[in-house]
Amino acid sequence: MKKFSKLAYPYIIWALLMLLLPMLLIGFYSIIRPGNDIVPFTMTLEYYKKFFTDKDFLLVLYRSIVIAVKTTIICLLIGYPVAYFISRCKEKIQNILILCITLPTWINMLVRTYAWIGILSKGGLVSTILAFFGFEDVELLYTETAVLIGMVYNFLPFMILQINTSLSKMDKSLLEASSDLGADKKQTFIRVVFPLSLPGVVSGITLVFLPAVSSFFIPKLLGGGEFFLIGNVIENQFITVGEWNFGSAIAIIMAFLMMFLMMLVRKLENRTAQKED
Amino acid sequence: MKKEKRIFGKIMMALVTIFFYLPIIFMIVFSFNDSKSLTHFTGFSLRWYQTMLKSHDMMESLYVTIAIALLATIIATIVGTITAIGLSSSKKILRKLVTQINDFPLMNPDIVTAIGLMLLFITFKVEKGFVTMLLAHIAFCIPYVILSVTPKIRSLDPNLADAAMDLGATPTQALVKVIIPQIMPGIISGALIAFTMSFDDFIISYFTTGKGVKNLSIMVYTMSKRVKPSINAISTLVVVLITGALLILNLWPMYREKHPKKPGNNKKTAIVSVIVVCVIACLVFFKDSTTEKPYAGQTLHIYNWGEYTGENIISDFEEKTGAKVVMDNFDSNEQMYIKVANNESYDLLVPSDYMIERLIQEDLLMELDKERVQDALDLCVDDTVNLSYDPGNKYSVPYFWGSVGIVYDKTKVSEAELEQQGWNIFLNEKYKGDIYLYDSERDSFMMALKALGYSMNTTDETEIQEAYNWLVQCVQTMEPEIVTDEIIDNMAQARKSIGLIYSGDAAYIMSENENMGYYEPKQGTNIWCDGMVIPKNAKNVDLAYEYINFATEYDGAYDNSSYVGYSSSNEEVLYNLAQGDYEGINAYLPRSGYAKDEHFKYNETTKKIMSDLWSRVKIVASNS
Repeated sequence: MKKFSKLAYPYIIWALLMLLLPMLLIGFYSIIRPGNDIVPFTMTLEYYKKFFTDKDFLLVLYRSIVIAVKTTIICLLIGYPVAYFISRCKEKIQNILILCITLPTWINMLVRTYAWIGILSKGGLVSTILAFFGFEDVELLYTETAVLIGMVYNFLPFMILQINTSLSKMDKSLLEASSDLGADKKQTFIRVVFPLSLPGVVSGITLVFLPAVSSFFIPKLLGGGEFFLIGNVIENQFITVGEWNFGSAIAIIMAFLMMFLMMLVRKLENRTAQKED
Repeated sequence: MKKEKRIFGKIMMALVTIFFYLPIIFMIVFSFNDSKSLTHFTGFSLRWYQTMLKSHDMMESLYVTIAIALLATIIATIVGTITAIGLSSSKKILRKLVTQINDFPLMNPDIVTAIGLMLLFITFKVEKGFVTMLLAHIAFCIPYVILSVTPKIRSLDPNLADAAMDLGATPTQALVKVIIPQIMPGIISGALIAFTMSFDDFIISYFTTGKGVKNLSIMVYTMSKRVKPSINAISTLVVVLITGALLILNLWPMYREKHPKKPGNNKKTAIVSVIVVCVIACLVFFKDSTTEKPYAGQTLHIYNWGEYTGENIISDFEEKTGAKVVMDNFDSNEQMYIKVANNESYDLLVPSDYMIERLIQEDLLMELDKERVQDALDLCVDDTVNLSYDPGNKYSVPYFWGSVGIVYDKTKVSEAELEQQGWNIFLNEKYKGDIYLYDSERDSFMMALKALGYSMNTTDETEIQEAYNWLVQCVQTMEPEIVTDEIIDNMAQARKSIGLIYSGDAAYIMSENENMGYYEPKQGTNIWCDGMVIPKNAKNVDLAYEYINFATEYDGAYDNSSYVGYSSSNEEVLYNLAQGDYEGINAYLPRSGYAKDEHFKYNETTKKIMSDLWSRVKIVASNS
């Protein structure tokens, strides 16, 4: 098959141009100060300094991480039992249930998020139901709860699908072996099923956490104009403030932070996996 | 124990299903609602579908979404498959390199990929629009295709191609007849992922598009500020389309089983797909049919404020000239400036006074041909011509004008209170959690500076700092909501008692809800004027002049002003509407000649300071 190796060359050039170069450009923009006609730019680290020495920016970053962590935990708590339930069904039903969960994800995310505005606003479905049970007429729209609902709604399918894949791939004879060896249901779950599903849990966490931290349209649509997460700060720098260098610096900080957190999660997974061995 | 668990599982499953489908069902139901409300169903009607079909923007966005998704999928699938085959036989180091680079869009947050591509296009001066959006989509789709094809190739017998060639096949034949059919499932699932990613994408499209090219996501994002049930209608259409496509996709294999392939079918499929590609290409490149009107086949790109155009003016203009109008909208002058200063080309802009001053200073505007605009200028009311930002109207023709003031619920706030406190009512804790601020850096600082008794054009940094502190106090103690166009429908429904607002929006609100009032504080306010200007990099100057005249003449100006509520620059329209549709609504006729009122002036240093401080105010508001 050596003859075909040349087929990859065009793409390598494309990838360098369209995938690698943009990242380098962000890095470059984040360390220059735009200059004048004589000196086009000067090197500087002031944008990083500006971000790290300002408690307001750090607080936004912190809040973005907190809300992403909350989203991830909720998705895990809901997603795991559902994925487990699906994996225990007959294959035909499994396929239907999986389709049932993937179908909404095919419909545009913005459109689905927009639909929540009517449900959460005053006099909407949620407040009507709550009022029916005697609660005060609450307005959920433009609160943190609304943002959280929006995020869970958008990202939960990823969690369910990932966990389900690793659960249904599992060798069923392991469960029999475990009960033959005297483990009860609970023990089997804790010592066999859960550890084996960990890779799915980890990739689920990645797929939920990553978009949740950087999301900016969910907070904007459901959290209102004053609900700023780190994604909104970046968007704002690029679209309305026009400080691209500072915006680039924040993007780089976020990208590295993500990488670091993901490595941490992977490490944890490896460690637990080793322990089980 | 087991049974209990199943019940628990079933309940969870049912709840999650409801959770997933509830908004979708809600959306479908309300797309048939008779009224504008998103919370109360008042009766069945198809009016939002009519609005949708009539809306240029919506149909266009649907078309862009589908065209981009199809093109990106086809290109990404072909390139991705070829690359994956090539990589499988190239050196390990090369393979590793490509895998690493491909990981960027997969592992980075979308927004990072998006701004990277945006910086790339801008740095290399590629004009943003349909093509850049398509390139960006291809860029993030190919890695998914490679990812899904590669395992299939790995599981192939490496001698397969050699065997085919030994039997006399050329390398191309071996590829097409032997390898590709073997890895088809991988290619199909790769194509499906690519299609979904592209169809669903918002963030990357948002940063890489330009010239008013919008996909569905961008359209929803920009329109979501106003109550627009037609969004539900178009969403329902998308749901139907997608569900239909999925059903066909899932039923197709069953059909195939029942009707086994006849020989020669492959060729037919190939021919059909070639035709499909051609049709799409034709749709993309030759969409406009030619007619005999003067500007047939030409396009006018306008960059205007959101909610700033009449109901019929665009279609009337298209009817008259035969040209196509593409309208892009902005929320703030600053947002517009960034695009224009980065060389995005529009034929006509509608910025505010101080921004026009800035664009003139930075030599971005074309000097207008007096002969072609004099008639339009003659129609304008005195308050809007020959103002300090553009003496003699060398560069601009007035569009709308007005003041900034306070919209208030007359049942909750008395005019006496407003008289007494003026702008400081935004610090009155009696209205905590009950106010709207407007996301405009200049007008927010205007309010603070006027409240403190300073000029809104101050260059004194301590005064600006004081104004910043005033705003911080406001967002920390008053729990305001910072909005833009959302304020219009929300105040019309009396959701809060007080809001900072442009007079035109107030006029619209008051025409919808008679309990609302508009007040211009005695401390003075901003009297502004937005004008139509032609940037230097405009491509269709003639058409821009046509539009300037069309929008200033009676019919166009009347449509614009009566529909959105802003005060017309056309004198006749202004007085007719003030005695007609907007009779008794003080917001429609802004205060004129009051000594403490000012026009904004542009100053580069203060602009930078205010811009930075305002983004901080928003962050503080969000953190507290």
